[in-house]
Amino acid sequence: MAQKSLKDPLMLNINNLQVEVGGTPIIKGLTLQVPAGQVHAIMGPNGAGKSTLSYALTGRDGYEVVGGTATLNGEDLLDLAPEERAAKGLFLSFQYPLEIPGVPTLTFLRTALNAQRKARGEGEISVPDFMKLSRDVAKKLGVTPEMMKRPLNVGFSGGEKKRMEIYQMALLDPRFMILDETDSGLDIDALKVVSEGVNALRGPDKGMLVITHYQRLLDHIKPDRVHVLAGGRIVDSGGPELALALEADGYDRYKDAA
Amino acid sequence: MALAELTISAGEAALLNAFPPTEAGDAARAQIAADGLPNRRVEAFKWTDLRAALADGIPESDGSAGLIPACLQDALVLDFAPDGFGLEGEKDLGLIIETEDSLELEGAGPLATMAAGFAPRAVVLRVTQSQSRPVVLRRHPGAPMRVRLELDAGARLTLIDTGLATAGLSTGLLEIEIGSGAELVRYSLQNGDTQAIDLTHTSVDVADTGRYQAIALMFGGKLARAETHVTLAGEGASCLIHGAYLLSGHTHADMTTKVVHASPNGQTRELFKGAVQDRARGVFQGKILVERAAQKTDARQNHHALMLSEGAEIDAKPELEIYADDVQCAHGNTIGALDDQALFYMRQRGIPEAQAKSLLVEAFVTDVFDAIEHEGVREWFSELARTWLEASSS
Repeated sequence: MAQKSLKDPLMLNINNLQVEVGGTPIIKGLTLQVPAGQVHAIMGPNGAGKSTLSYALTGRDGYEVVGGTATLNGEDLLDLAPEERAAKGLFLSFQYPLEIPGVPTLTFLRTALNAQRKARGEGEISVPDFMKLSRDVAKKLGVTPEMMKRPLNVGFSGGEKKRMEIYQMALLDPRFMILDETDSGLDIDALKVVSEGVNALRGPDKGMLVITHYQRLLDHIKPDRVHVLAGGRIVDSGGPELALALEADGYDRYKDAA
Repeated sequence: MALAELTISAGEAALLNAFPPTEAGDAARAQIAADGLPNRRVEAFKWTDLRAALADGIPESDGSAGLIPACLQDALVLDFAPDGFGLEGEKDLGLIIETEDSLELEGAGPLATMAAGFAPRAVVLRVTQSQSRPVVLRRHPGAPMRVRLELDAGARLTLIDTGLATAGLSTGLLEIEIGSGAELVRYSLQNGDTQAIDLTHTSVDVADTGRYQAIALMFGGKLARAETHVTLAGEGASCLIHGAYLLSGHTHADMTTKVVHASPNGQTRELFKGAVQDRARGVFQGKILVERAAQKTDARQNHHALMLSEGAEIDAKPELEIYADDVQCAHGNTIGALDDQALFYMRQRGIPEAQAKSLLVEAFVTDVFDAIEHEGVREWFSELARTWLEASSS
């Protein structure tokens, strides 16, 4: 049941969530709680439903929630449009960031930031303030002015796209972040830069869900809890040591758990 | 007796009376008496049925000719009103303006015949040296325009033509001769409403190393058609033809072009983009004909359109006809919907759906305007597109 207090210690509260894609059940009764201030990791084999979970939470068309609840700070997420969820502070770092031809990165970001502020009843950020903010954040993440002038993600390498995701995340300053396979396509140097960027966004009033296939990312972004997603359910949960065990043994032992 | 055999619609009857008693008016009358108005049974008009659009007669003219934007305050403005032609602004050296009888124009098709027939006289612009001051051709609601433009060797001119009637039948006929090494840069704007019928025909002849560069923006009308026939007659002649159409409601816009490469080393660049929603209809017909003599021709044509609603319609007929053997010709044509994934990505970042759509459509059509060298006109066209997007996505 949704709790109305903003002081709900459970920032993200998913209860018995069931999601279908094209009539096929993918998430089959998933329960997961992430308290404020914590980073939880979701690991699982390919096809376990990891990306489906991230799309269902952010409201993508075609990911139909047929049962269960999901709240953010006590507020129901599932009835909201994707942009309303974003304005509530929910951010998804995409596994495959989209190229948006013709829309300059800075225009895109200022539009997004101002749209979120407007939805929250805040005033628009001034152009000079935005420019300063975007430059300060860019410097930390190794995003070049050249990248910011180009159309969003167009012609970017895989690593640049992921850096741009974290850059957007830092700029929009969301309360709850879902990172979907953020490590894929990154070499070790880029992984460090991205991880540092992510770690800088941790805080007592923030929450994070890190979805990954490999343990590698979790060496850099240390989770408080690790969950194993298989066959559309959480089949195991534990501390960071669970990720190490998975790295050593693989997902085979969860084959039948789902 | 052709007249007796043909079932004459109210529109055709009204037109027969409307042409003035000039030579071209008689020719137009004879054409309609013999063939009727172009309609969907005529191949070139299969998607743009003029007879149907004029079935109830000629709609009464309404609307204004529009204001000249601040960026064109230095322009020489030629006004074409139903009762005559006027001039406003300063004229530079090297531009000669005269009028002549509107003579019959053969072989340019029924629209050209009609437009020639309506015009009581033709305005002749002769450019003997490059003009820094743009020339604006402003068509008033219900007005017939006929212009013959000659650019002498090496001369350069920027031409803007507008037709903004909200109702009525407006016609335009432009015959353009571009001399050796001369260049015409043209920006066209058409904006109508569901009672406006806007028909223009442009015939261009380009001599060696001359260049015709035209960028058009159309918002359609009850029926709007802009025909362009370019002949790259001389060696090394080139043309760039860009067009954008943004249609909503029940509007209709048709961009029909034909480029003939008649000499070697010619170049054509065509880029058309459209976005169509509600019950509107966009038509693109583009033919590039490369004659046997036109070796080393380099021609590219692209038409890409977005369907923003289920009930919208886009009809496209790209054609390449090549008789020379050493050429580079390519064309691309796509009609699709907005990218759902991109839309979701933008919404996930907090951009509301309508605004996200509007940004994507703007990004989609904007490269049509990239070729506009005149900064003010580029901003003007972009702003008009943006206003349309905001109005149509709300």
